[in-house]
Amino acid sequence: MKDDLNIVGKRVVRSDSLAKVTGEARYTADLQFPNMLVAKVLRSPYPHARIVGIDVSGALKVPGVKAAISGFDSYGVKWGVFRYTQDHAMLHTDKVRYIGEDIAAVAAVDEETAIEALSQIKVDYEPLPAVYDPIESMKDGAPQIHDQYKNNINVHIHIDVGEVDKAMEKAFLVREDTFTAAGEAYAMMEPYAVVASYKNGYLDLYMPNAGPHVRAKALSNMLKLPLNRVRIRHINSGGAFGGRSEVAPGDLVASLLAIKSGRPVKLVLSREENATSSRQVHDIIATIKTGMKKDGTILAKDYKVIYDGGAYSSTGPIATSIPFYVYEECYRFPNVRYNGYRVFTNKGIRGMYGCHGRAFLAGNEAQMDVMAKELGLDPMDVRLKNGLRAGEVTATKSKITSCGLKETILAAAEKTNFKKRWAKPSKLKGVGMGCVAIMCGFPMGFRSGSSCYVKINDDGQVTLVTGLVDNGQGNESMVIQVASEVLGVPMRDINLVCADTEVTNLDPGAYSQAAAFVGANAVRVACENARKQVVSIAAEKLGVKEADIGLKDGAAYSMKDPDKKMPISWVVREAFFRGEPIVATGSFFPNIDFEREWVTRPWGQMAGTFSFGTSVAEIDIDAETGRITIPRFTSAHDCGRAINPMAVEGQMEGSIQQAGVAAITEGNLWDKGHLLNPDLLEYKVPLACDMPDMDTIIISSRDPAGPFGAKEGGLTVRMNAYSAVACALTNATGELFTELPLTPDKVMKILERKKGVK
Amino acid sequence: MKTTKVSFQINNENVTLEVRPYETLLETLRERLVLTGAKEACGMGACGACTVIVNGIPLRSCLVLTPEVEGADITTIEGLRQNGNLHPLQEAFMEKGAVQCGFCTSGMIMTAKALLDRNKKPTKKEIVRTISSNICRCTGYKKIVEAVEEAARKTR
Amino acid sequence: MMVLPKFEYKKARSVAEAVTLYKQQKGKARYLAGGTDLIPLIKHRLTTPRTVIDLKGIGELKSIDRRDGWLTVGANVTLFDLKNDPVTGKYFPALYESLDATSCETLQMRGTIGGNILQDTRCLEYNQSLEWRTARGFCLRMGGSECNVVKGARTCFANYCSDNAPALISLSAEVTLVGSEGERTVKLGNLFTGDGVKPFALEAGEILTQILIPMKKTKGAYEKLRVRDSIDYPLVGVAVSAAGAKAKVCVGGVGLAPQVYDLKNAGDAAAVKEVADKASTDSRPVANATLTPAYRKKMVGVLLKRAVKRALAEGK
Repeated sequence: MKDDLNIVGKRVVRSDSLAKVTGEARYTADLQFPNMLVAKVLRSPYPHARIVGIDVSGALKVPGVKAAISGFDSYGVKWGVFRYTQDHAMLHTDKVRYIGEDIAAVAAVDEETAIEALSQIKVDYEPLPAVYDPIESMKDGAPQIHDQYKNNINVHIHIDVGEVDKAMEKAFLVREDTFTAAGEAYAMMEPYAVVASYKNGYLDLYMPNAGPHVRAKALSNMLKLPLNRVRIRHINSGGAFGGRSEVAPGDLVASLLAIKSGRPVKLVLSREENATSSRQVHDIIATIKTGMKKDGTILAKDYKVIYDGGAYSSTGPIATSIPFYVYEECYRFPNVRYNGYRVFTNKGIRGMYGCHGRAFLAGNEAQMDVMAKELGLDPMDVRLKNGLRAGEVTATKSKITSCGLKETILAAAEKTNFKKRWAKPSKLKGVGMGCVAIMCGFPMGFRSGSSCYVKINDDGQVTLVTGLVDNGQGNESMVIQVASEVLGVPMRDINLVCADTEVTNLDPGAYSQAAAFVGANAVRVACENARKQVVSIAAEKLGVKEADIGLKDGAAYSMKDPDKKMPISWVVREAFFRGEPIVATGSFFPNIDFEREWVTRPWGQMAGTFSFGTSVAEIDIDAETGRITIPRFTSAHDCGRAINPMAVEGQMEGSIQQAGVAAITEGNLWDKGHLLNPDLLEYKVPLACDMPDMDTIIISSRDPAGPFGAKEGGLTVRMNAYSAVACALTNATGELFTELPLTPDKVMKILERKKGVK
Repeated sequence: MKTTKVSFQINNENVTLEVRPYETLLETLRERLVLTGAKEACGMGACGACTVIVNGIPLRSCLVLTPEVEGADITTIEGLRQNGNLHPLQEAFMEKGAVQCGFCTSGMIMTAKALLDRNKKPTKKEIVRTISSNICRCTGYKKIVEAVEEAARKTR
Repeated sequence: MMVLPKFEYKKARSVAEAVTLYKQQKGKARYLAGGTDLIPLIKHRLTTPRTVIDLKGIGELKSIDRRDGWLTVGANVTLFDLKNDPVTGKYFPALYESLDATSCETLQMRGTIGGNILQDTRCLEYNQSLEWRTARGFCLRMGGSECNVVKGARTCFANYCSDNAPALISLSAEVTLVGSEGERTVKLGNLFTGDGVKPFALEAGEILTQILIPMKKTKGAYEKLRVRDSIDYPLVGVAVSAAGAKAKVCVGGVGLAPQVYDLKNAGDAAAVKEVADKASTDSRPVANATLTPAYRKKMVGVLLKRAVKRALAEGK
C-alpha cells in the first residue's frame, strides 16, 4: 500500500464547514420558493382504531387553504423495504396503529391557516383494543395489529450453526441472563422536513435523507409515477444516525399536496412529531446463554432476542439481525443459535439506529466479564482469545479480510492500564471493555455498489458526480479528499455534485457504513481512470515516460526531473483539442454474496470488509445516589486507514456521547401508547458538562480493497461504548445490569440488590 | 389581528418591520429577514440551536417575542463576518473539526461568542459550562470546546 | 415552526401601569418577564392569554439594594446577574448554588428571579402539546376528572421545579406583591397553595415586584438531583441555610409546594437524620418525572443530609 500520500491521512478542514460556520448552509426548512405553501399533518390520537371515515372538505373551506388530502387521495400502495414486509401505506384508510400516525394533511398559505384547517377535518374512529408490550403482543388473543402477521410477529430470524445444545452440555461454565433496554430517540438536531413541487408531470423533492435513490423508487411506486419523474435533490442533512434511511410518510404527504395544489409545499415536523411520528429505536429484551470452556473459549451461544418494532415493518429483517451480526463478526462462535423476533405493538415505528442493539451487545459483553471472573480470567484475555483474526470466517460464513481487533484491544487496554485496574477495582469505581465489529455495507442487491463520474474542466478544476450521501459525518469532504489525492488537485479546486437522483448514479447510501469503503472507492477508481488520461498526455508533452509522471498542486511533473512540469489545465486544454476531454467513470462493487437473504438464507459474505473497535469506560458510582459519572473514556477503532483523522476522531467522540454517555441518560419513556418525552428537555441527550475526557485511538489495518486501505470511520464505538459502561458497572459492583439506561434510580436498585435490601 | 411596528438593529443594519405581536424573534429572523442561520430544533428553549445575541446577551430566539426587541442591537451568525473576514470562532470551528451536521453550529458559535465578548480568557471549565446551554448530537463536544479555546487564544 | 396563538403585546413602563393593563384585560392577561417559562407554556396552549404584558421595561424592578437589614432584589433581576452579585455568594451560599444550578447559563441570563419563583408546576403528562394532551385525555388540572398519573386521584401531583425558591425560603425570604388593592409583603413560604390548578396564593393581576432577604451571613448549600448537569429541572432539590447552629431546610422539586423544616442544631447528626427521614416520608413523588418515585423519595433524605453536611463544612 502506498504510504507517501499527499493529502489522504491529513487533518484537513472539511469542505462543507465554511458554509456551516457562516450560517449559509441550507437545510430543507430554510428553503423558500415563490408561492410556497405550508403543510400540516393531522395525526391519530388513538393507538389503535378503525377509520370509519375521513372528511377533509371542512379544511378546504378555510380561506387560504389550497389543498387537503388523506389516504383516500393516494393509491394506497403499501411500502416495505422487502417484498414480504410491504405493510405501510403511509396514509392508511382502514386503521391507525399508533398515536401520531399520519391521517390527513393540508397545505395553506401560512402556518396559522394550516393549523386552523386541521381542526376542520373530521375523522370518525372506532377505537380498538391496543397492545404495547411485545411479550403481551405475541400471546394468543392479543389485539392483532396487521392481519398478515400471526401473533404480531413481524419477523423471525432463525440462525443455527453447529450443535448448540451438545456444546452447552460440554461447556465448563454455562450462564443465562436477560437484559432489557429502552429504545432511544434519534434526536437528530434537524427535525424531518420536506419541500415538494410538481411541474409538468415531474415531482421535485428536497429532504434530509440517507439514500435518495431508494427514496425516489419508493415514491414512484406509491404515486404510480415513472421513476424518472421523481427527483430527489441534494440538501444538507442535520444528522440522521439511521433515522432517515427510509421513505417517510411526510414525503408522500408533501408530494400529494404539491400535486394537488400545483404549488411548492413545505412540511416541517415539530420536535414532538419528529419523535412520535418519524422513527424511533427498538426497545429490546435479550436473553443470552453462553457456554464457555475453562480457558475462556466460547463454545456456544444461544440467543432469544425480542425487538419491540412498533406499528410497521420498517427495516424489520435488518434491524432484527444486525445486533447479532456485528457480534459474530467480532468473535469466534463454533456453535451459535439466534432467534430474533421483531414484534408489532401500537407504538411508533422503529427503525435502524447507529447505536442499535444495546441490550444485546452490552449484555453479551457484561456477561462475558462475569464468566471470566468466575473462571479467574481477565476480560481482555478472553476477548483476545475469542476475537476473530484476518483470514477467518464468521459463524455465518463471512470472510474477514483485514482485522485490527487485537490491536484495538491492546491499545485501549494499555492506555487505560485496564488489566491492573480491572483486577483491583477501588470501591464503586470500575473499568469496562466493549468490543464489536461492523460490516462496511451489506447486501442490497444492485444498490450495493457505487459509481462516480469525473470531469476535469478547462482551468484544471475537477467536478465529481456521485450518488454518495452526507448526513453530517463528512462524507462529501472525504471523497473530495480522495479525489485530491489521486488527481493532485487541491481540495478547493474540486466541486462535488452528489445525492441527486437526476444527476448521480446509485450508491448504497449513508446508512450501511459503506460511504468510505464503497462510495469513496468508486470516486478513487473514477479519478484513477481520469488520471491515466492526464498522465498519458502529460508524458507525451513533457517527453518522459508515463511511469515518471506525478500529479501535485494542480500540475503534472516528472518525478525524476521535477523542473519538467506543466499545469493540469494545459493537459486538459490539449485533451479538448484532441476531441477527447478528460472524463472518466469508475465504480466499485463490494464482494458480497447476493444469495444471502436476511430471513431465508442468513449466511454468505455479508460485506466487503469489516471494521473493529474496542472501548474502555472508567466509571465512578455515587454510593448514596447511585449516580454514575464517567471521568474518562477511551476508544480504539480500526478504520483501515483514516482518510481524515480529525473527522474519524469526531465520529468516535460523537459515538462516545451517543452510545456511551447515553447509556446512563437516554431512553424513551412510555405510558401505554403515549411517548412521555418527545422533546429535548426530558429526553436526555448528553451535554458538554456530562462528557468524559476522551481518548481516541485510530488503528490502521489497511484493508486490501478499501480506498487507500480505508473502511468505515467510527461506527464500532457507537456499538461498543454502552458495553464498556455496562462492563464497568459490573467491575465496580460485581453485579450485572438488567436494564438500560443506567439512570441513578436503576443503579440504586443494583446497589440495593447487592446489599440484599429489598 | 393587527400587526405592530418594531425597529431594531440587526448585524449593523437598522430595520423596521410590521410583525404579528405574537411572533417569535426566530420566526422574524427566518421568515421575514431570511436569516436562516438560526435553526429551530426544538422550538421550546431546550436546545439552543436558535441562539442569537441581543444587546450582548445570548438568547434563544424561539422564546423571545419580536416586539420585545424594540430598539435592540441583534447579532446573528450571518453578522459575524467582518469585512469579509471570518470571526476567529468561525475559523476555529473549521480548523478544529468542530462542525459535523452543522445544525447546532450557528447557535453554538453565538453562545460561545457571547462568552468571549464578556470573558476574554475563559478557562476550559467556563467554556464547558457555557456551551452546556446547547445540544449537539454529533460531536461529543470535545472539538467544540477546543475550537472555543483556540478562538479565545486568537482573540486575545 | 412552533407558532404561538394570537395575543396582544403590551409593554408596561411601571408597576402601576402593568396592574392597570391587567385589569383592562379582565383576567385574560399574563405577565411576561424572561419568558423562559411562559413562552413554552403558550406554545403548548397550556395558557392562552389575550394579552401579554411585558414587565421588562419596568426599571424599578431591576435593582439589587441593601436597606434596613434586607437585601432587596427586584423581580426583573436575571438569575445570572443575581448569581454574580458578590453579596449572593458571600451571604447566601445556598442561593448562589441554586442559581448556578438553574437550567443553563444562557437561560440564566434571560430568566428573572421573579419569573423563576412564579414558574408553573411541571408534570410529564402536563408539559405537552395540545395534540399530545388531547390524545391522552385532559387531566384534572386541564379540566378533566382525575389525575392522569395517579388513577382515580382528584388531586394534582405536579412538581414545583424552581431551584431558587427553596433556597430563598431557607433564607426566610419575603416577597412584595403589588396589585390593584395595593401592596403587601408575605413570607415566600406562604406563597404556595398546594392546589394544582392555582399553585400560588396570588390575587388576580398581582405582580411579584421584589424579593427581600434578611441581610444576615449564612452558611448554606443546595443539592439538586438531575440526570444531566445542565438544562434539567430538579427531580429533587434541597436547600439549607444556617446561621449558627440553627438551620432552615427546604425541599423542592417534589409536589406542588416546597416543604420547610427547621433544624435546631444542624451539627447534631441524629437530628439531621430525623429531619431527613421526616422529609422523605412527607414527600409524595409520583411517576410524573423521569426517575422513579421510590427513588426520588429516598433521595429527598439523602440530599438533605448531604446538603446539611456540605453547608456546615469548613471553608463554606
